[in-house]
Amino acid sequence: MLDGILQGLSTAVSPVNLLMVFVGCFAGTFIGMLPGLGPISAIALMIPITYGFDPSTGMILMAGVYYGAIFGGSTSSILINAPGVAGTVATSFDGYPLAKQGHAGKALAIAAYSSFSGGTIAAIFLLIAAPALASVSLSFQSADYFALMVLGLTAVSAFAGKGKFLIAVLMTLLGLMLSTIGIDETAGLQRFTFGSLDLMDGISFLLLAMATFALSEALMVILKPAARSKEAEEATRGNLGSMKVSKEEVKEIAPVIARSSVLGFFIGVLPGAGATIASFLAYGMERNFASAKEKLKFGKGSLRGLAAPETANNAACSGSFVPLLTLGIPGSGTTAVMLGALISYGVQPGPRLFVENPAVFWSVIISMYIGNIILLVLNLPLIPYIARLLALPKQLLTPLILFFSLVGVYLVSNNTFDIHIMVFVAVIAIFFRLIDFPLAPMLLGFILGGMMEENLRRALNINDGSISFLWERPITAAILAITVIILLAPLTKNIMDIRKQRALAANDGES
Amino acid sequence: MTLSKEKLGALCFFILAIAYGFEAQQIRLLPGDQFEAFTARTMPYALAWLTGLVSFLVLVLPQKGSGETFTRVFQGLNWPPTILMMVLMVLYGLALTPLGFLLSTVLFLIAGIYTLGERRWKIILLTAVPSAVGFWFILVKLLNVYLAPGEIFLALNLGA
Repeated sequence: MLDGILQGLSTAVSPVNLLMVFVGCFAGTFIGMLPGLGPISAIALMIPITYGFDPSTGMILMAGVYYGAIFGGSTSSILINAPGVAGTVATSFDGYPLAKQGHAGKALAIAAYSSFSGGTIAAIFLLIAAPALASVSLSFQSADYFALMVLGLTAVSAFAGKGKFLIAVLMTLLGLMLSTIGIDETAGLQRFTFGSLDLMDGISFLLLAMATFALSEALMVILKPAARSKEAEEATRGNLGSMKVSKEEVKEIAPVIARSSVLGFFIGVLPGAGATIASFLAYGMERNFASAKEKLKFGKGSLRGLAAPETANNAACSGSFVPLLTLGIPGSGTTAVMLGALISYGVQPGPRLFVENPAVFWSVIISMYIGNIILLVLNLPLIPYIARLLALPKQLLTPLILFFSLVGVYLVSNNTFDIHIMVFVAVIAIFFRLIDFPLAPMLLGFILGGMMEENLRRALNINDGSISFLWERPITAAILAITVIILLAPLTKNIMDIRKQRALAANDGES
Repeated sequence: MTLSKEKLGALCFFILAIAYGFEAQQIRLLPGDQFEAFTARTMPYALAWLTGLVSFLVLVLPQKGSGETFTRVFQGLNWPPTILMMVLMVLYGLALTPLGFLLSTVLFLIAGIYTLGERRWKIILLTAVPSAVGFWFILVKLLNVYLAPGEIFLALNLGA
């Protein structure tokens, strides 16, 4: 393990990779700040650039973009109450009121310190948890992988939001359906190609990620233009107030950071739950822990209310790398895009990655420490200037984002047919966005679809066509039991809600 | 009665499940596949049934979401420039082969920026031309990526 860490360290601190962390953090912060563009788009936009790179370098750049985008989202949440990323919505609850009170600088500084602490503490956990899980998962068989993928896809749907479970399941199924287009790998038979040569290879993952996220998010900015507020004007002039944080304030937020880091990391590790859920849970947890007096400050500019989600979302980002690097199963839409990128570099993430490609495995983990330091060093002094980027006119930025998305896919395939397919997919994605159908489960379904089918086929063949593998192996049975619990949880809650309503109605009738 | 946006989505999925299921029947099987537990049709069949079942559940179960009607979702949006941008992207795809990367990109960016409301030509040109040329330079000169010259230039024997 020590050899691996040293190998990873030497890869991560090479001048090219250090430059990549720097570029990734900066580009991520910039893209994350633009309201409407999230980390998935930010990473998707990087994929074509990283095609020629060494896998470690590519992953380091994307990891930098990931936490840079989360931090950038916090900046726009605090300054203009327009979170660029769902994971930073909870940041705006107390960050924006602080900015309105004239403490924007302090709020941004606390956000930077909290992100740094959360990210660093979680990276230490990752250093311990990832190799441990990787060594356990070496004993996993096809049946276990199949069960894990079912669990991952179910969890993504279960965490999709209140009343959205079945809708997220539908989107996951759509992703699985799209993954069946093209030539079936085992039998070599065409499926859903309609005789088109362009569909023989299936739909490209990059095309789907770019069209459903980067392209459709940029088009949504045109479709639903947000009015620029007075705060946005103020922020873009760089009037942020003092960035100093007093000793008392540090004392106040230190335990919050410690608690939220642990919570964030473990939420991040869970398949399906990511930065968004971690930040909301950390915010809720801190409000519950707070004294009655402190509780009243929540939502009005509480430092604890700002530090908790900021710490948790960065810790969750690091945590979400655990299932990706050790099992090859992405826990969120963002890590799903990274998985796709890794596969396109010719690296198969999973338990063997730890053994076969230790440089990739460890350099990504080590680069997280470096990334967090760079984010702190880069963002604190540059915040007033970065904030001015919010002033860049949309009419100039949007066509450029559209151009980068289109060309990113075109350069890989050199086929203009892909551009037309992208526009078609983006139109469908916009339709889904308008009717509030989540797109991340679809992407996850698409990426896991092929692997899931392959593992199910293998498990069935090994078992002579019997599905007894589902309960014969304890690991498979345990994973599937968790899946059933996750599936039944929303259903049980529904039944309880209906009972409550009936009881209330009966009470009303009696009185 | 107007459909809510959730029900409209579920209805689309229900139709998709039927179409996908029918198309799955068209997948050819290898000789002897009838004795196999898992064929190229197994996964598509399972997906078609599951999608049909889940979308049916969303259609018949009581509304849990916002209940907003689908017609309202599409109202009050900035449709004209969005549709124009989509058309421009399609045209960009069509123009790449005959005009080549550089010229078609400059034209796409100029048209895109103009469509989104910028009317100062100096700003439009100062954004579009350096962006396209800079990106082309990075690709061709620094990264050695081959970009085919436009057919129109080849026809005119200009070569670039």
